[in-house]
Amino acid sequence: MMSKVCFSMSVLERLKAFLTGAKNDVSENKSDKEVLNQKKPEKTKDDLKSKQTSSKDTNEKEKTDSSIAETSENEEVAETSQPEEVAETSESEEVAETSESEETTVEETMEEPSESSDVDEEELEEEDENDKKDEKDNMTLLDEENGKLTLDSVDPDFTQIFIDAGIDTVEHCFQCGTCTGGCPSGRRTPYRIRQIVRKCLMGLKDEVISDDALWMCTTCYTCQERCPREIKIVEIVKMARNIAAENGFMAPAHKATGSFVIKTGHGVPINDATMELRKRVGLGELPPTTHSFPEALEEVQKICEATGFNDLIGFNKETGELE
Amino acid sequence: MEIAYFLGCIMNNRYPGIEKATRILFDKLNIELNDMAGASCCPAPGVFGSFDKKTWASIAARNITIAEDMGSDIMTECNGCFGSLFETNHMLKHDEEMKDEINEVLAEAGREFKGTVNVRHFAEILYNEVGLDKLADLVDNPLDLNVAVHYGCHFLKPTEEIQIDNAEKPTILDNIVEATGAKSVPYKDKMLCCGAGGGLRSRDIDVTLSFTKEKLDNMTAAGVDAIVNVCPFCHLQFDVGQTEVNKKYGTNFAIPVFHLAQLLGLAIGLGSNELTLDSHLIDTDPALAKLVAASDKATGE
Repeated sequence: MMSKVCFSMSVLERLKAFLTGAKNDVSENKSDKEVLNQKKPEKTKDDLKSKQTSSKDTNEKEKTDSSIAETSENEEVAETSQPEEVAETSESEEVAETSESEETTVEETMEEPSESSDVDEEELEEEDENDKKDEKDNMTLLDEENGKLTLDSVDPDFTQIFIDAGIDTVEHCFQCGTCTGGCPSGRRTPYRIRQIVRKCLMGLKDEVISDDALWMCTTCYTCQERCPREIKIVEIVKMARNIAAENGFMAPAHKATGSFVIKTGHGVPINDATMELRKRVGLGELPPTTHSFPEALEEVQKICEATGFNDLIGFNKETGELE
Repeated sequence: MEIAYFLGCIMNNRYPGIEKATRILFDKLNIELNDMAGASCCPAPGVFGSFDKKTWASIAARNITIAEDMGSDIMTECNGCFGSLFETNHMLKHDEEMKDEINEVLAEAGREFKGTVNVRHFAEILYNEVGLDKLADLVDNPLDLNVAVHYGCHFLKPTEEIQIDNAEKPTILDNIVEATGAKSVPYKDKMLCCGAGGGLRSRDIDVTLSFTKEKLDNMTAAGVDAIVNVCPFCHLQFDVGQTEVNKKYGTNFAIPVFHLAQLLGLAIGLGSNELTLDSHLIDTDPALAKLVAASDKATGE
């Protein structure tokens, strides 16, 4: 299996050398790969969960493998798992992933042929840390130290909430990206719905609920309509937001909307100008809603109290205001 | 035919001309609209549904129980209300466990969800119950307008549950609009969201306006006289939001905005006073002037 990788590498290296004429780049690449290969056998850890998650989308392999880590897309990186997990993947998966990563490495080297062409192999390993920093400054916006995920980030209970809520289709996702591809919010914000679905399945609770981008979805359903796996994507987003709200991630403007409903029964209550308009066209000054029926408003308020909604948004019944 | 008429918030509390036009239109159609006394906010699917599903479903279910007591199906002319009420009704009819959980909450308010009525959208009732021919018969003044039809998101989606029309390439609204004599003009990314939903407008107006501007750009490129929607929240977004887009981007968009009920109101001869068009931030006069000119020309001939 390994020979396959080496073969594909050497072809790509020769191609690159042909295109750039930079022979030393080839050896640099080789040494990088050797570092990668040496590191792998050192890692052993038996954890079924991490195996499941890592086998699917491990892109970032090792801190020292800067060239690989830096080729990951912005979107991908947050979904990557820990370096140790690489060793746990099955052999065939490992090869598939390695060859994929190597390809991107070469591509990138091709784009920057002049880079560190005079460093010899031994030095390279020692100065790897420095190189990495330099390259990082040049090539990536990723914060590798803080962007790393470990098993500590995984909360299986988080995933279970979705399954218990009947959104078990979260498990059907094969990460094709049709959702993000059609997402109008993704075109203008950092919101990446494919990534959110993945994180929900991986149990990356803190990542999901603390991210402002979670609130950039307009619930337009384009993703859900197009999903080839018929995943209830909007339900996943709304449930993730429910959990975020429960954990204190709720915008003041949203709390205010909630408090309007408790106070008036309406998210958008009547105002003087509209009362005038209503009168003018022969409608009742107040609509026949909770605005006209105080006892009906009380029912709404009882519901909000019973479900704990008052507490959720910090509505103080005594003062009638948000805390 | 009798219908429990669900008002919601934005229509009755901001654009009462939509409500007025609907009441007059349904009177002409001999469909009785009965008020749902004491109904509340639906509550909004994106905002409330995002905060706490149980509260959202409980308040929506309470609204549905009012119609159950009246013994008739619910009609709403707001996509958001339709989304919340339809989804809750569908969920509680199909999920016994959830129904029990919500009924436990409703008991606090002395109510019980039974699952005996359906939730329907204004436009769907016009299309399926009234029919295009009957609508066309009501038209006094064929409307010589090029219209950008905006479907919005929660009228047709999720299709798996709602099953009104194809969500990617629907025709239902275009057909209703064209029954008035107006022309539904194709435009780029017609099915794009207005940007207001999901709690985005209150949380991050800049992102919302970016959606709205894209829609307005595409509508302008198609050369339309008016935007027609079936959701007061989209309506507000195209009306108020259009002024906000102009302010933010330095643009001069001035496309008049009509809810479908207002467009039908114009077609059956209602005036801008009854339709409260003067309360719109975006002047509707250019569209009305075109109608008057066409009408004069027709009379002259």
